[in-house]
Amino acid sequence: MSKHDTPMLDELEKGPWPSFVTDLKRQAETKPECWDILGQLELSYEDKITHWKHGGIVGIFGYGGGVVGRYSDVPDRFPGVEHFHTVRVNQPSSKYYSTKFLRGICDLWEKYGSGMTNMHGSTGDMVLLGTRTENLEPLFWDLTHDLNQDIGGSGSNLRTPSCCLGQSRCEFACYDTQEICHTLTNHYQDELHRPAFPYKYKFKFSGCANDCVAAIARSDLAVIGTWKDDIRIDQAAVKEYMAGNYPANAGAHAGRDWGAFDIQKEVIDLCPTGCMSMEGDELKVDNSECTRCMHCINVMPRAMRPGKEQGATICMGAKAPILEGAQFATMIIPFVKIEKENEYEAVINVIESVWDWWMEHGKNRERVGEAMQRIGLANFLSIIGVEPLPQHIQEPRSNAYIFWREEEVPGGFERDIVEFRKRHAA
Amino acid sequence: MALSKEELKAVIIEKAIKAPKPQLYLKDFYKCDPDSKPRVIKNVANELVREGELMYWSSGSTTMYARPDRIKNEEGAQGVND
Repeated sequence: MSKHDTPMLDELEKGPWPSFVTDLKRQAETKPECWDILGQLELSYEDKITHWKHGGIVGIFGYGGGVVGRYSDVPDRFPGVEHFHTVRVNQPSSKYYSTKFLRGICDLWEKYGSGMTNMHGSTGDMVLLGTRTENLEPLFWDLTHDLNQDIGGSGSNLRTPSCCLGQSRCEFACYDTQEICHTLTNHYQDELHRPAFPYKYKFKFSGCANDCVAAIARSDLAVIGTWKDDIRIDQAAVKEYMAGNYPANAGAHAGRDWGAFDIQKEVIDLCPTGCMSMEGDELKVDNSECTRCMHCINVMPRAMRPGKEQGATICMGAKAPILEGAQFATMIIPFVKIEKENEYEAVINVIESVWDWWMEHGKNRERVGEAMQRIGLANFLSIIGVEPLPQHIQEPRSNAYIFWREEEVPGGFERDIVEFRKRHAA
Repeated sequence: MALSKEELKAVIIEKAIKAPKPQLYLKDFYKCDPDSKPRVIKNVANELVREGELMYWSSGSTTMYARPDRIKNEEGAQGVND
């Protein structure tokens, strides 16, 4: 493997920002195959086409996911990347590591792969980039036996569940995201490692509507913390914010002078449902209109807190652009208790009611969100046994076409047509 | 009435041998026995992988099943079970 001329890539080293080209050149000093990554990428820029082939039978025996096959279609020119498979490693809940563990992962990947990593991929996994087929089994042995870590999901499997920091560091988290993420990862080991579905399926767990793991945008099943009772308000702290004694947004925007804090402009007027107002010097919230968006809590965290009756909202059907365009999740269950004591039975019941239907009726390469769109929300709710609720619609009567089922109409669809025609001539 | 596990294995293998395309979606195996639940078929297909009768073929986003003798790896080598 030798250095290649990469004039276009070299342009990406200019400027003040970090450059992956510089990183690859540095890595190539100890891992010469990285020269071939640069060479092949320069060729792709010239040809305006990728020179990676992906997929295949490569993997760890008995596992239907965790390894994504990558091959060069010009291996004679770039032998270092003839095989360049990706390995997904299941990250621990909330991505807490010891430095010893991270050194272990890096040493493992220097031994069996290119040494290049992506910490972390959009699925949440640690992504180890670039190895040969013959290295996969020994890598898996060392990963599982020496580091006590598992591979993640890929293909038509359950993808590696991920969660926000949750109650480990965040006072807003309405449930223990780490615990449920870890528990369900173990509970669904078979689905995680062996293909069970028409296409990929992801869980993500966010402790509140700030949604730090982007569950609502990037997961088929988003469990997002919320509360059922009234938002908690410390009126004395509200006054401190208004007086400028507490920094708004916990000081997050302190790098610039934004002027004095204006509760009307920065909180009340930005409430998406307009449920807030001042009565004298007291902040009032109409909790029946509050959508639990977290904005006021984020701006005044010492004055506002989630209510005490905490749980989660379950949304379904989000996906990234492939294949039919990006879509956000749809709210399906407004509130569910997240209870470790009964092993998250309520959440598991929801998950499996969807799986049972989607496994049978989902089309190949059709995400749950696309299947929901295909059959319509009303049918989907009926299939998974959820009663339609006011929260399922954006606003009343925006759809003029309401289709009743016969059992929903008193007397059914039977009528006396002769009697009807007496009043309505044909 | 649903087929027994051994009967199901036999019809899945036959399907994998005779299908025009070597790679099959899990859903393609559902037709082998409409009376069997999808989870049962998934478990049997995965057991056949462990036994070496089938192997996984993954694009990275989708996983399919194939007979080892009907599919070649990208670099041209025969499958790992050969």
